[in-house]
Amino acid sequence: MTEKPHVAADRSLPERGKSPFWADGRPLRLAQGILLRGGPLIALLLLVTYLSIATPHFLRASNMVNVTRQSAITAILAVGQTFVILSAGIDLSVGAVAAISASVAAVLITQQFQIGGLTIGPLHFWAGLPIALVIGILAGLLNGLVITRGHIPDFIATLGTSATLRGIALLVTGGLPVPSHLTATELKGYLPDEMIWLGSGSLLGIPVAGLIALLTVIAGWYILRYVALGRSIYAVGGNREAARVSGINVDKTKIWVYVFSGLMAAVAGVVLAGRLNSANALMGDGEELRSIAAVVIGGTNLFGGEGGVLGSLIGALTMGVLGNGLNLLNVSAFWQRVIQGVVIILVVIFDQWRRRRFAR
Amino acid sequence: MSLSETTPRQPLLRMEQISKQFPGVHALDQVDFDLYEGEVHVLLGENGAGKSTLMKVLSGSVPRDSGRIFIRGEEIHQLTPERSQEMGIGMVYQEFSLVPALTVAENIFLGQWPRKKSGRVDWEKMVRQAKTSLTSLGVSIDPRAEVRQLDVAEQQLTEIARVLTKEPKIVLLDEPTSALSDTERSRLFEIIDRLRSRGVGIVYISHILDEVPLVGQRVSVLRDGRLIKTLPVQETDREMLISMMVGRQLAELFPKESANITDVVFRIENLSVKDELYNLSCEVRRGEILGIFGLMGSGQTELARAIFGLLPLSSGHIFIDGKQVAIHSPTDAIRHGLGLLTRDRRESLVPMLPIPPNITLANVSQLAYSKALNLSSERETAKNYIQDLHIQPPALDRPVLYLSGGNQQKVVLARWLFSGAKVLIFDEPTRGIDVGTKAEVFSLMSQLAKKGVGIIMISLEMPEVLAMADRILVMREGTFSGEYQAGEATQEHLLRSASKILGG
Repeated sequence: MTEKPHVAADRSLPERGKSPFWADGRPLRLAQGILLRGGPLIALLLLVTYLSIATPHFLRASNMVNVTRQSAITAILAVGQTFVILSAGIDLSVGAVAAISASVAAVLITQQFQIGGLTIGPLHFWAGLPIALVIGILAGLLNGLVITRGHIPDFIATLGTSATLRGIALLVTGGLPVPSHLTATELKGYLPDEMIWLGSGSLLGIPVAGLIALLTVIAGWYILRYVALGRSIYAVGGNREAARVSGINVDKTKIWVYVFSGLMAAVAGVVLAGRLNSANALMGDGEELRSIAAVVIGGTNLFGGEGGVLGSLIGALTMGVLGNGLNLLNVSAFWQRVIQGVVIILVVIFDQWRRRRFAR
Repeated sequence: MSLSETTPRQPLLRMEQISKQFPGVHALDQVDFDLYEGEVHVLLGENGAGKSTLMKVLSGSVPRDSGRIFIRGEEIHQLTPERSQEMGIGMVYQEFSLVPALTVAENIFLGQWPRKKSGRVDWEKMVRQAKTSLTSLGVSIDPRAEVRQLDVAEQQLTEIARVLTKEPKIVLLDEPTSALSDTERSRLFEIIDRLRSRGVGIVYISHILDEVPLVGQRVSVLRDGRLIKTLPVQETDREMLISMMVGRQLAELFPKESANITDVVFRIENLSVKDELYNLSCEVRRGEILGIFGLMGSGQTELARAIFGLLPLSSGHIFIDGKQVAIHSPTDAIRHGLGLLTRDRRESLVPMLPIPPNITLANVSQLAYSKALNLSSERETAKNYIQDLHIQPPALDRPVLYLSGGNQQKVVLARWLFSGAKVLIFDEPTRGIDVGTKAEVFSLMSQLAKKGVGIIMISLEMPEVLAMADRILVMREGTFSGEYQAGEATQEHLLRSASKILGG
């Protein structure tokens, strides 16, 4: 047996362990890396390419506007959901928060009500809008407090608040759409033009809803990258214990995350009501799952700490384009559900596989 | 010794040229190892030398990159944990693999519970058999007790009982005595002798030199993933083994420099944590390294966590620079100038974030949420620390996940340097890092002390504490049981203060 001389200098030898692609100059691995990292965008581009060949209607301007409006709601919700998922949480209440914010605002805008003998309303849209946003913020605060103070898993807490908020929305609207045929004839009023403009209008040929979605994405991107809150979110989601030991207030971070998600849900709710020309307590049903799907398709790690809103925008567009394309291809609504479900599962399987490849 | 030296026998186990790489670390480099029937082969080496990795290769939980394994002359190609068990290999892990919420008996037979004809678990039989195997180990643990109610030593013995019920031909013991008292340890050695007489081959991993002549027939020394030498135990002595394990002079390994020790920077008074710590008082001066030694589970980690606001105090006061401070969270601790290198680096780092945000995290956490970050100055900061602390590789965009243990430790250290901590708590700073990096961490520790930082160094390794600390406090069951100045303490002193039985 020979004793190998060992010197301290051995430590400075280049590492021979497997490295992620960016630390490794070989072109094959680089291409592989781009393929793996850019997966969501490539998938979207492939889908767009396929649809523009398969159906002539797809690339028409009117259809593009349509796709944008369809994707906008999901995108706005997905921005909030990205924050939540990055912090290793999940928000199942975004659909309900959107519904209650829009419903309450719509009621206040279209109906008269009495407080202590005073008859108020109907409110102007610009008074109703901030109220909707505040409701979203409060709902988010509620989620955050239930999770952190009640020590309840995010999943259960938001499932509970979701049902509760929908119930309250039903109580507020009496289960009717707002404006209903009753209030509409009585007040001769529908939702105000401003609200409808947010949902269905255009600015310089671009759908306003799409512009709003873009604004929220930019805001989300900026916060996550350049603001202390964003960094805290990555730290909490990436390693809760490490965040705590480094002095980050984990509970406070989580509360802010849910407040932000609630605010985004309120924005989405108002835009959705504008698009539908109506608000009701059951609107936005299933949007929570669509937003989660958009986030995950966009490459954000469902277990937190990794990802961002740009990916979620791509995810939301993918969901929108897929739905639109299936409509154009005359696929029945039933089959659309099946296909969308399968696509989500496939994307996540791909994502997990990608992560394993990276890990070793 | 029953080993006949003349007849060449077939080894029970032969491992040839085993190599294994982890990202950033060459864990095993062409290691040869063999084991005969009825033999205890001691595997000796510093933390991070590759002992555990070698055993995990053998138990099938870590696949080898290259090398051959023979059991009774038969080459084994694919080694999975199941296959390894079938081949009669039983491993007692260093980190326990017990299920805390199940009973001792359920754990001993985990997954192979005795069944009745109807297919239901035969609880009575299980408890009876568990009792038998525990008794044969010479321990009196109630098989019906839940594992989480046992103390560490009892858990260790339960773990051993579990492995032995499968009647393995090869037993791997990974630092089995680290949690045991002297009596329990001698009982374990009796058990080992009994197994040996039955022809079982035992690989005994340790870094405690004094155990070598007590249990082993042959000893192999690993260092930085390489086999240094295999020798019969009679041909070795303490000095020789140390020099093989360490591979360098003691002064090189523990670069202690004398610092100017001045006024008291940190003081605790009657600090208690419910059921963990009792009325602890001590102080640390600027430039001083205060060593805290104790056996595993004596409350050292709890002390660090309590000071840092991670465990609520039931009573006591903390003073920094003579002023009493209220610390309810790490945020408070950091604001008052404390820093903590956690026992487990994974508890400190955000794995998917690259080096710069990991370094600045303790500063960013002190900012208001709305504050903007200066990413370019963050990168500059990181570059400086990467240079100063020789962090390898110096990649700014690569997740710290891919750094080796020692370099991860340096990133954590950089964080506390950047936070401007006045008092730094090192909780087992050299756990699982290679010898060279260890020396670097100690050298940084010395430099910090020289700059006037007060340092609390928690360690289970007596040589480390003895070499680095200016003053040593010994902990036992949540209290301070001894205090020694540098130079006056010996390993014997420390051990005596740290163990239950006085004069043991």
